[in-house]
Amino acid sequence: MPEFQQTAFILLSILILASAFCVVLFRNLIYSALSMIGCFLGVAGIFILLHAELVAAAQVLIYVGAISVLVIFAIMLTGHRAGDLRLFFHKQAWVAVPICAVAGIALMVVMATATYNATKDAQNPSDDAIASLLFNEYAFPFELVSLALLVAMIGAVILAMKEKK
Amino acid sequence: MTPLQQYLALSIALFFIGSWGVLARRNIILIVMCVELMLNAINIALVAFSNYSPTGAGRGEVFVFFVFALAAAEAAIGLAIAIAMYRLKERLSIGDFDEMKG
Amino acid sequence: MKTAVLLIPLLPLASFIITGLFGKRYFKEKSHYLSVAAVAVSWLLSVYLIVQVERGEELHWQVYSWIAAGSFKVEIGFLVDQLTAIMLLVVSTVGFMVHVYSIGYMKGDGGYYRFFAYLNLFMFSMFMLVLGNNFLMLYVFWEAVGLCSYLLISFWYTKQSAANAGTKAFLVNRVGDFGFGLGIMLIFVTVGTLSYSGVFSSLGSIGTGTMTAICLLLFMGAMGKSAQFPLHVWLPDAMEGPTPVSSLIHAATMVNAGVYMVARSSPIFSHSPNAMFVVALVGAFTAIFAASIGLVQNDIKKVLAYSTVSQLGYMFVALGVGAWTAGMFHLVAHGFFKGLLFLGSGSVIHAMGGEQDMRKMGGLKNKTKITYWTFVIGALAISGFPGLAGFFSKDSVLAGAFHKGFWYFWLVGLVAAFMTAFYMFRLIFMTFHGKPRDEKAFAHAHESPRSMTIPLIVLAVPSAIIGLLLGLPPESGHIDHFLEPVFEAVMGEPVHFGLLDAGLMTLSALIGIGGILLAWLFYVKRPDLPAKAGARAGFLYRAALNKYWIDEFYFAVFINPVRALGRGLWRWVDVGIIDGFANGSARFFNGVGMALKPSQSGKAQVYLFSMFLGFLALLVAYLILTI
Repeated sequence: MPEFQQTAFILLSILILASAFCVVLFRNLIYSALSMIGCFLGVAGIFILLHAELVAAAQVLIYVGAISVLVIFAIMLTGHRAGDLRLFFHKQAWVAVPICAVAGIALMVVMATATYNATKDAQNPSDDAIASLLFNEYAFPFELVSLALLVAMIGAVILAMKEKK
Repeated sequence: MTPLQQYLALSIALFFIGSWGVLARRNIILIVMCVELMLNAINIALVAFSNYSPTGAGRGEVFVFFVFALAAAEAAIGLAIAIAMYRLKERLSIGDFDEMKG
Repeated sequence: MKTAVLLIPLLPLASFIITGLFGKRYFKEKSHYLSVAAVAVSWLLSVYLIVQVERGEELHWQVYSWIAAGSFKVEIGFLVDQLTAIMLLVVSTVGFMVHVYSIGYMKGDGGYYRFFAYLNLFMFSMFMLVLGNNFLMLYVFWEAVGLCSYLLISFWYTKQSAANAGTKAFLVNRVGDFGFGLGIMLIFVTVGTLSYSGVFSSLGSIGTGTMTAICLLLFMGAMGKSAQFPLHVWLPDAMEGPTPVSSLIHAATMVNAGVYMVARSSPIFSHSPNAMFVVALVGAFTAIFAASIGLVQNDIKKVLAYSTVSQLGYMFVALGVGAWTAGMFHLVAHGFFKGLLFLGSGSVIHAMGGEQDMRKMGGLKNKTKITYWTFVIGALAISGFPGLAGFFSKDSVLAGAFHKGFWYFWLVGLVAAFMTAFYMFRLIFMTFHGKPRDEKAFAHAHESPRSMTIPLIVLAVPSAIIGLLLGLPPESGHIDHFLEPVFEAVMGEPVHFGLLDAGLMTLSALIGIGGILLAWLFYVKRPDLPAKAGARAGFLYRAALNKYWIDEFYFAVFINPVRALGRGLWRWVDVGIIDGFANGSARFFNGVGMALKPSQSGKAQVYLFSMFLGFLALLVAYLILTI
């Protein structure tokens, strides 16, 4: 791994993990949402490092553009900007820490001890190849996903509709 | 540490930060946000595998697109549910919604 | 011929289905049209069939394979030979007449359509029983006629005694059918097939012991169906059913199924002299035993019922001593005259407005002329009056027993014949002669409608002349020649009518006439004698009147202990153990559920926690197993 890439990876990792902690720890939901956007942008950078430019672009469009806006809208609509202090510093927060830590460390161990059939960097193909994969080999799952999206859209509309009285 | 393992380590770390949030926080909107973080962690792993795999080149990325689509759907539904619940009780703490008990 | 064979059973079946399904709503009091028509056509076809068979035609026809499982193969097939043809004729003739008779007898009954539907179902089952070409079909339709019998005995099911009688008939028949079923299984295990031809052609390979076992088991079935001692108890009670049913099922056809079965299995039985002797012994005992009960009964139908039991005993004597054709001859003749007698008694009961006790009858002679004269013909026939059907058939049975060397059975038969003549004419004198004992009922008494009297007349004809037509000369008459092909292998030397036979014949005729005269003396000339004789006989009289306490014996030995056992099982085993176990397991799972209920708290994050803990456990397990 070239020097530049290594440096970029470390910087992006710090950005991602720090903003992820911020998402969890901020009491104000708006701050959490903004940190989440930072995290998403960092992940997009990681994708570029992995030679997946198309995914990175989609990440920015969908996560940073669409989902974040959706979340912020939800926060605004509920008018519930501040996560209540009482809601956060309760017992289960401290129970969750060891569980997640142990599970994470265990998975790290698995990851570190596993053997990989990994080759050199830059196996990710061009956008053309992705497109042909998506529309040939994975055409059926693609259609299924579009159906799922349609159902989700209808469902969201029905759920968010105000009940007529 | 090979580059692949670096990316995987990042993925695992992000995943468990997200799951900590899911377990620890009670605000429903925040839980949805943390789920998105977890999904992002998975995406990192998928793209990394795709990048370093000698045989499955590009297939990881295809799956990432599916994850995107379903994440969008999940966010839309999840947030719509959150709004509906808020309308119902004027509150958003997950602990307040426990009517479906045995 | 095949079409005829198919149509004979299928027409009544079709009529049963149509009448049974639509009778209640659409046919109502017109239900009999279809039923009678179907049976009439079946009767015509039976006549056609017997003419064909007379010309020497036979039919062995495999229609289709019903069950084929490994080596077990059952085929629906028809066998039409002389035996089948003659049975078909008896069944369809009596059946047809009973159908016609029922139009009048059952008029106005609420279950009119149901009655005709059941009768049709019975006709179908009985036709199939005699037409089948294997033991399994015999067994299946044996049960089917048993079912029809049950349905028709308890036809007036709101009457407790009728319902009980039906149940009793069913249960007692179960005992016999149990043996019958075992016998058929034994045949299959030994021979590997159930078709008549297959079984009869491989008899040489069966050991004597097995053969005897098969025969006795089969005969057990016959004892149940044909009401032989000790399984005779159901038949007198079966008189609770409507009288046409008693006539058709419990006198002329179904009860003959046992006789038919033994005759059909004659090749098997002839291999086992011991079993044959048992058959004859049971028959002889039943003949005299039932006749002695018949002497003192007061219910008009009960007398006839015991008479039927007794006559069936006669048939078994004939089969048992090896006089096969005589047995079948008696079956045919008995079918006609006993059918006639039952229908006649039905007419009497009809005239008396439902009264069955002979002590309340009397003097009906002039009011019901047709009934009276046809009844007298039937009674003379069964008493063995010279020239009538019973004279020839009964004589050939007795002569057969005598010729085969069983003189003791002959003697028993002679005594029973005397009793038969006596009780039949006791019935006639009590019912039709003398002064009316119940003035009110007598005033209402009237002759039955034409639909009832015509069958009486029609059945009186064969009762009178069938003996002359078929039985002359005795033991080598027309019927003997007709049935010869069936029993060819099992008949002994043909008997030539000689001086000895003439003597025997005269003797049995005199015995019959003696019985009639004694009855006349007792019930017309000196009406005070019966009471004196009864008092003199004392214990014997009471024993016969109470049917030798057989029912009471069964109650004490079988029914009450079984009931007590059942009650015990119910109280202790069922309620205590089985219910305890069932309820206990329910309570156990209920408790477990209650204990686990709080775990479904409705709190999403608790679920998430447990999910993560599970994930953690899997991960740790994986680590421990791999590293």
